[in-house]
Amino acid sequence: MKKTKNLFAVFSVITCLSLLIPGYAFAADHTIGALFPLSGPNATYGDVFMSGSDLAVDHINADKMLSGPMSIAYEDSQGLPQPAVVGMTKLVNVTNVPYVLSAFTGVSKAISTLGTRNKVVAVNGGGVGPDLASLGEYFWNVIPLVNLEVRAVLPYLVKEKGIKRVVLIYIDDPFGNSILEELESTLKEAGGELVETMSVPTTAQQFSGIAAKVRAAKPDAVYIASYGAQQIQIVKQLRDNGVDQQLVTYSGYLVPDALALPESEGIIATGQGVNYKSDDPITKRFVTDYKAKYDRDPTAYNVNYYNATLLYAILAHALEADGKAVSGENLLAKRKEMGSFDLVGGTVSFQSNGTLLFPIQVKVVKNGKPEVIDTIDFGK
Amino acid sequence: MLALQLTITGLQTGALYALTAVGFSLIFGSTRIFHFAHGATFIIAAYLFYFVNVSGYGLILGVIAATAGAIIFGLLLNRFVYVPIQRDEGSFFTVFVASFGIGIVVQNVIGMVFGRGFVTVQTPLSFSVEIMDGLFVSPLAWISMLCAAIFFGILWCFLKYSQMGKALRALSDNPELVRVFGLNPRFISACAFTIGSILVVPAAIISGATSGLNPAMGHHVMLISLAATIVGGIGSVAGTLLAGLALGLAESLALLYVDSQWTEAVTFAILFLFIIVRPSGLLGRSAAH
Repeated sequence: MKKTKNLFAVFSVITCLSLLIPGYAFAADHTIGALFPLSGPNATYGDVFMSGSDLAVDHINADKMLSGPMSIAYEDSQGLPQPAVVGMTKLVNVTNVPYVLSAFTGVSKAISTLGTRNKVVAVNGGGVGPDLASLGEYFWNVIPLVNLEVRAVLPYLVKEKGIKRVVLIYIDDPFGNSILEELESTLKEAGGELVETMSVPTTAQQFSGIAAKVRAAKPDAVYIASYGAQQIQIVKQLRDNGVDQQLVTYSGYLVPDALALPESEGIIATGQGVNYKSDDPITKRFVTDYKAKYDRDPTAYNVNYYNATLLYAILAHALEADGKAVSGENLLAKRKEMGSFDLVGGTVSFQSNGTLLFPIQVKVVKNGKPEVIDTIDFGK
Repeated sequence: MLALQLTITGLQTGALYALTAVGFSLIFGSTRIFHFAHGATFIIAAYLFYFVNVSGYGLILGVIAATAGAIIFGLLLNRFVYVPIQRDEGSFFTVFVASFGIGIVVQNVIGMVFGRGFVTVQTPLSFSVEIMDGLFVSPLAWISMLCAAIFFGILWCFLKYSQMGKALRALSDNPELVRVFGLNPRFISACAFTIGSILVVPAAIISGATSGLNPAMGHHVMLISLAATIVGGIGSVAGTLLAGLALGLAESLALLYVDSQWTEAVTFAILFLFIIVRPSGLLGRSAAH
């Protein structure tokens, strides 16, 4: 009995001491944060994003890239700014993470100030609003922004498909408004005309009236700029209500729920170009293991969050090798110092605004799968 | 032609709003329970129908499963949540918070079971047919309006002529007097929950085919129900029916006059107007409970 008591005392002392020494207990643990929509109408994206970041964690831990196990603390942003700020505050002040994965334009803009103020790096792999390129040094994008997607698809629509008259249906938030601005400034230049614009509230679910207005405008194509369940509802209700014109949208539509919808057939959508058949070992391993783990083909969103997570491990590994603390400030400095990184899709480097540049592919949905019909490389 | 198209679209939307809202209004009017989880009943019915349908068991079994699921959920909630709270003299606010919490639990459970993404009931009935030049109407639009007419006809007859219907109306007026007459208020409450839950089923099934489903849509359903109940007059089934139709029509016809982002705001502008000008609603009584 006495022996047990002594053992317990020794164990307690060791535990207490380890907690008192700053950073000792958790120095080897690497926790990063993630603000993903895990509930609400945008929750479908949360599953998609997590499948990429979780696979990266599996690979990082299996390779023992870091001095200790890596994990991700997920917070539910619901794809909305207000819950995202609450989650970011918790990640920054309670969990004390140096690096946060972010998604959605409104969410990213809302949390970026907290990141900058606390010197915590926020990395976006899902939001595509053009404003995301100017949120400061601590905000990085591993996804090409939507202005490039719009610029890529317009010449194709006008020259190849002979489309002139376009109606835009856009969500009434920073993302939707950025698409409106881009179309207003570039469609005329490409030889088309924006004949009508219709914004919809983020909570709207009935679009049969909108469909009637679209038919009345007699467009050649309808550009849809929304996300989550709403975006799929718009497509379904337009088709159900007699809108048979070409539907055009952006990378946010290329998620399994949307592709499974029969009404998605024939939709033209843009997205970042990733060569999944590349021979480089990182891409090969990602594609093979993703298919094995989730029993489906990876999409660009999976790649982005895999890359964002792997990027942390590369930077943290380099910092540990230098004997430096893994803080947001040091991660930023190391990113600038290293310049380029071997990620899924090849060797990439950041532009001066903290955004990775990828080629943009124009795709058409056929038999529930996106098929590439054109590729535009803005880097060349 | 656009006005006619928007009128028909509005009537379809309004019929679904009315079906959902009348169930809530009946429960609230009879029992004074703020049944916020009515949106959850909608989700349960819709997902059960979807599940049975995609599993290949057909339409009839789907409808039976959705109806049974809605009734069982309503009755269980009443028996195991609302009755114990009311027995302990729980306040209106306690009941509301409990109901709100149940709504969130159901949303998450549905998300875990069926996935958190978007699903839809595929049927050729959702495809519109051009019945006149530029006028597109889907068979489901007619079905929505027909369902609303049949259900409200039956409900009206039930409330007016049946013993239980009279008891339900009496319960909303004076629960103590109901006891004096030898009736059991708890049993009458259970009937209110049963009927209110059944009323939501057609709207849930039709919404699954027209606008699709996601586990989070219960809150939106509840907001519309609440607006229609207040505009129609709290406790007035006929008023709620008219308000549901009016809100659907207003939301659709607003597209003729205002930008599309304001159509939902029209619903709440009407609600605000009624609260200011006629707080008792369209057919409600002025006396406060």
